[in-house]
Amino acid sequence: MEACGRVLQSVQLTASGRPSLEAGEVECQLLDAIDLEDDAGAWALKAGILTLTTHRLLWLDEKARRAWAVPLGSIGQVFASKKGLKSMFSAPRMRFQVWTQKDGRVSPQGSGGAAGSVVLTIVFKGRTGPESFVQKFGEVLQAQAWKVNMEAPQIRPTLDESAVAGEAGTSSVPTATVPRRPAPFKMNPAMAGVSGILRKEQEQQEEVDKNMKEAFQDLNGLMGKAKEMVQLAEKMRARLLQGQTAGADEEGMGTKQEMQDWMLSVGIASPVTKESAGALYHQQLSRQLADFVKDPVQRAGGMLALVDAYCLFNRARGTELISPEDLLTACTVWATIDVPFRLRKFDSGVMVIQSVSQSDDEIFTRLRALVKSGDAAKVGVGATEAARALGMAPALAKEQLLAAESQGFLCRDDGEDGLRFFHNFFIDISVATAFEDS
Amino acid sequence: MRRRPGISGLQGAAQARDQYRSLGDNVAKVRQDQMKEQLETFRHQLEEFASKHKNDITKNPAFRAQFHTMCAKCGVDPLASNKGFWAELLGIGDFYYELGVQIVDICLATRPRNGGLIDLEELRSLLAKRRRAVSITEDDCLRAIGKLKKLGGGYEVFSVGRRKLVRSVPMELNRDHNLILEIAQPRGYVTVEEVQSELGWTHGRAIDALENLLKEGLAMVDDGAPNGKRHYWFPCVGPSSSVESEAEL
Repeated sequence: MEACGRVLQSVQLTASGRPSLEAGEVECQLLDAIDLEDDAGAWALKAGILTLTTHRLLWLDEKARRAWAVPLGSIGQVFASKKGLKSMFSAPRMRFQVWTQKDGRVSPQGSGGAAGSVVLTIVFKGRTGPESFVQKFGEVLQAQAWKVNMEAPQIRPTLDESAVAGEAGTSSVPTATVPRRPAPFKMNPAMAGVSGILRKEQEQQEEVDKNMKEAFQDLNGLMGKAKEMVQLAEKMRARLLQGQTAGADEEGMGTKQEMQDWMLSVGIASPVTKESAGALYHQQLSRQLADFVKDPVQRAGGMLALVDAYCLFNRARGTELISPEDLLTACTVWATIDVPFRLRKFDSGVMVIQSVSQSDDEIFTRLRALVKSGDAAKVGVGATEAARALGMAPALAKEQLLAAESQGFLCRDDGEDGLRFFHNFFIDISVATAFEDS
Repeated sequence: MRRRPGISGLQGAAQARDQYRSLGDNVAKVRQDQMKEQLETFRHQLEEFASKHKNDITKNPAFRAQFHTMCAKCGVDPLASNKGFWAELLGIGDFYYELGVQIVDICLATRPRNGGLIDLEELRSLLAKRRRAVSITEDDCLRAIGKLKKLGGGYEVFSVGRRKLVRSVPMELNRDHNLILEIAQPRGYVTVEEVQSELGWTHGRAIDALENLLKEGLAMVDDGAPNGKRHYWFPCVGPSSSVESEAEL
């Protein structure tokens, strides 16, 4: 297994076992039951999930939680699959050439800095054939989305952080990468003086106007100018947020507020979709959801209403809405994979996402300590006292008390003071020793 | 600039400074206005694209991500499907799902202020502000909320008098109750007015929380107080409870 590490790049995984993507990297297609082999037979990776992104080709072993990557920039030639009698009976394959550096590793710069090359083979053993994959592969290779990142190397961990730290980030990038040579100074009389500055401003604005007009002519125009428009949006946002301070008018404050509200809702740059994940949809969605809910659940104190999670998750996905049914399915998949969350349903029908660390055991321990302490030992504990002690809503505290009772830790007194719970002494008595003395 | 002597010189310099400043302010203002205008067109265009080309946008994952970033940066809601004939008739299509997400969004955003209880009419008007293109009716809201039922029914609509209210916090996660218990602690009871004034809540929120506690069996009502106000007693938190039970023992 490790032999492939001498050639391929190792990939970090998220807490739920999905490959963590670079900034601007988007998943295009996922296929399962894929083998990735070295053509010379030096190594072979068996039965994993292949992910095609705009930047890389990722191979993931879900059980062993390990992943390897081939940057698309290093891919040289793609060989057409041989059509013959033999290929009718064996699994379909695709071979491609990868440029390598002197030390044998893949060379992300492509043929430029390459010292040699290896040929890799993808074997499609799953039900979904390679046709759509090969087509997407071609499209992505042509788009060359990774090149943009290479030109401007910036440390941008995730999309949502980059949006906040965008300005700070760009300024802290060492300027050495862009050698700033003073431009040869040419005195242009039209550009001199105050009126010159004003004229320059004016020209800049007109330029922006023109650019925008072109971009929004039709969808293709916008696609072509997408990168510029994103930058423009960022610039406008930054200037609007810093520009208005003291004398901001009512309407301006409104937009400012609105924009800040929306900031909270960017998040998942590469949402798992039915189209890209195919048969792996619910499973991958489930993992992505687990990665996503970590922060919201923590903020909500270990428990998040499912409806709230539905909204937050969909907001982060932008236009790629998922239905309530899909969310439910994704939550139920958690029981089968190793993630620190679970779905919990109350008797009232309300469903919440609960982090496993806020487990029942911990709460039982606190409840048991509570019924033994002070007054509670004599008068018992009701839902209200438990709510105050545990810092949760009375209705939920009552649920926890009942659960602790069903575990045998507490016993009830359903009297005129209402339903109250006491320490269950029977649990401390061992049957074997209790009768020995007498 | 060479400084000229005398008072007139000083005055002249001050004047020039003022002129520069007012010019600078002017330029800054013009720039700001221009940018606002640009932003407005930008947003408008994005909204139009979001509703017209939704399917094409979602087809291309890389562009989709860029489009989302643009929308998020300028505060445009990318969820802008039109209602359409079939949605209206059968409730299919993305429209009501989108509306559902936006409703929850609004409820989450206003929760710190209203404790998860919002007037349906207020909700509708906030929603309409985000959806400038289509008019949103009360019935649309109700349908969209209905779509959320599958997620455990945390959202419910109920009537108080002629008003309709939407509750977005399920009882299990409602911390309002804890706050009420907290202020009831010293004397063992509270009135609606006390809850309103001490916690700064609206009348509806206070009533709703107290009635819920009543339903749960945690509170008792006393209408016979001398001042005619209804007292909500909490037998379990009052200072007397432990004393009494000790006396019984």
